[in-house]
Amino acid sequence: MAGITFKNVVKTYDNGVTVVPDLNMEIKDKEFVVLVGPSGCGKSTTLRMIAGLESITSGDMYIGDQRMNSVPPKERNIAMVFQSYALYPHMSVYKNMAFALELAKTPKDEIDKKVHAAAEILGLEPYLDRKPKALSGGQRQRVALGRAMVRNPEVFLLDEPLSNLDAKLRTEMRSQISKLHKQLGTTFVYVTHDQTEAMTMGDRICVMKDGVIQQFDTPQNLYDTPCNLFVAGFIGSPQMNFINAKVEKEGEGYVLCFGDARIKMNRRELAPYVGKEVICGVRPEDFHAEPQFFGEGNEIDAYIDLDEMMGSESYLYLNYAGQKLVTRVPARYAKKAEENIKLAIDTEKLHVFDKDTELTICQ
Amino acid sequence: MDKKTSHARTIVAYIVLIFLTFLCLFFFYILIVNATRSHPEIQKGFSMIPGHSFMKNLKSVLNDANIPVLSGIKNSLIVSSLSALLATYFSALTAYGLYAYNFKLKKPAFIFIMLILVMPTQVSAMGFINLITKMGMINTLYPLFLPSIAAPAVFYFMYSYMQSSLPLELVEAARIDGCGEFKTFNRIVIPIMKPALAVQAIFAFVQSWNNYFIPALVISDNSKKTLPIHRTTVKRRCLYLLQHSEARTSSSSTWARCTC
Repeated sequence: MAGITFKNVVKTYDNGVTVVPDLNMEIKDKEFVVLVGPSGCGKSTTLRMIAGLESITSGDMYIGDQRMNSVPPKERNIAMVFQSYALYPHMSVYKNMAFALELAKTPKDEIDKKVHAAAEILGLEPYLDRKPKALSGGQRQRVALGRAMVRNPEVFLLDEPLSNLDAKLRTEMRSQISKLHKQLGTTFVYVTHDQTEAMTMGDRICVMKDGVIQQFDTPQNLYDTPCNLFVAGFIGSPQMNFINAKVEKEGEGYVLCFGDARIKMNRRELAPYVGKEVICGVRPEDFHAEPQFFGEGNEIDAYIDLDEMMGSESYLYLNYAGQKLVTRVPARYAKKAEENIKLAIDTEKLHVFDKDTELTICQ
Repeated sequence: MDKKTSHARTIVAYIVLIFLTFLCLFFFYILIVNATRSHPEIQKGFSMIPGHSFMKNLKSVLNDANIPVLSGIKNSLIVSSLSALLATYFSALTAYGLYAYNFKLKKPAFIFIMLILVMPTQVSAMGFINLITKMGMINTLYPLFLPSIAAPAVFYFMYSYMQSSLPLELVEAARIDGCGEFKTFNRIVIPIMKPALAVQAIFAFVQSWNNYFIPALVISDNSKKTLPIHRTTVKRRCLYLLQHSEARTSSSSTWARCTC
């Protein structure tokens, strides 16, 4: 089994566009790593460099201890699941799964055993004789997984494998892939643009933007302590609220001022920003309507533009001092649209970002 | 009312269709009928009823030493099948090369192939004959099918077919599965291209089967001639007969048109 290491990897396309300027990353053995980011951020390119489908312009890429830069894909002992599944249309499900093994000159009975074992795990037994076009999207997806599974690869690469499925099936397949990872105990690298998939499946998540790794951490850490504005905005649904605020000194501590609100924040990191503007980040669930949270210097009184009742909780779209905010409050404390609501901000969980560098100042 | 008009429409449609079918099939019918009639019968005039001389006609065709029809059919079959095979396989291979790989001069290569497409065969015929003479292939069947390897029109068809129905992800999947480049082409690409290959194989076969120009230039040996050359010999002979026969009636020119 093997981990994957990137050392100063650069990828420049023939037309001169550099997609990945300098990538350093270490994926541990047996880890489930999710590469996530907006489209065009270089996550797919990174995955394709691991697969060997894309050449590396400079730098080194290792799988295990072996430098893989010039090793062809078939000798890398990897398996890949494509977004379009890329099933061979002229072969039956069985043939599709057996193809790689046949090429490796595996004995017939062993192929048979492996294919049937994979088909059983994935629930594909009844469809082994069918051609891919006679299968539904979810079944094709499972065939693609099965094709990768039978080879016992050291690394499993998945390129947005769920994006062609409907919402219900996607949730189902998400848990199936997670289960598969535990069962197989191999390294998984999974590319997606969907932060929910990333959060639910990854052991660690690598958030990328413009070919640069923004943060590479566990889902919980990404959520609780994002390192910059981009990560904070990308991870979490609904998105984190960003509020322009001004830092002022008040006695020994500092306050963040926006609208009528003066939020107390006694953090030394704010010292250089006194008198300057910063960006406050507040997660929707860190606004509290429950009375026990109200205290001095953490309240805002906001106007509700729109409310979405979700049953147990309610999403309120607020307008406060000209800034749009989203909050998530328990249904019994929620109010209706066009009313005002008093909310307390959980200052423990408040994030403050530098307006120019967009880096986190304190959280 | 509605029923009546639709009834009338059906009748009109059938009449038109029957007429068109007649137009299409009549000449084949005459061909078959004339094949069963003797020479004087044909000269007498046109008839819808078959004669009794089919076996005699057949025998005289097969026994004509100057026109070895059977070897002509054999040569034509060999040349046409090989042409169809080479044209489709190598054009698909070329198209795949240009479609699936990125290399310098890819665009110029494409344009070059397209330029060959606009060159008529006649223009390069002299050079072609020179070349094959020097290669020692004059008066053999090779020059009739080997050039089909470079078939720009077939290439273009294959290229557009790949663009519409061969996603590159499939090729990549094959590479990851451990398939070599050539094997990928033969085991993944060719089966996907089957419909296109079939269409182009038919076209290439028919084109080669009807080709008169190059075989007439290249082949002089009677036993190596293909059918179109024999057919021309027969036609010439017919015209000769017609010009020298006293019974130069309108019916005999119909006969010439039908048989030649």
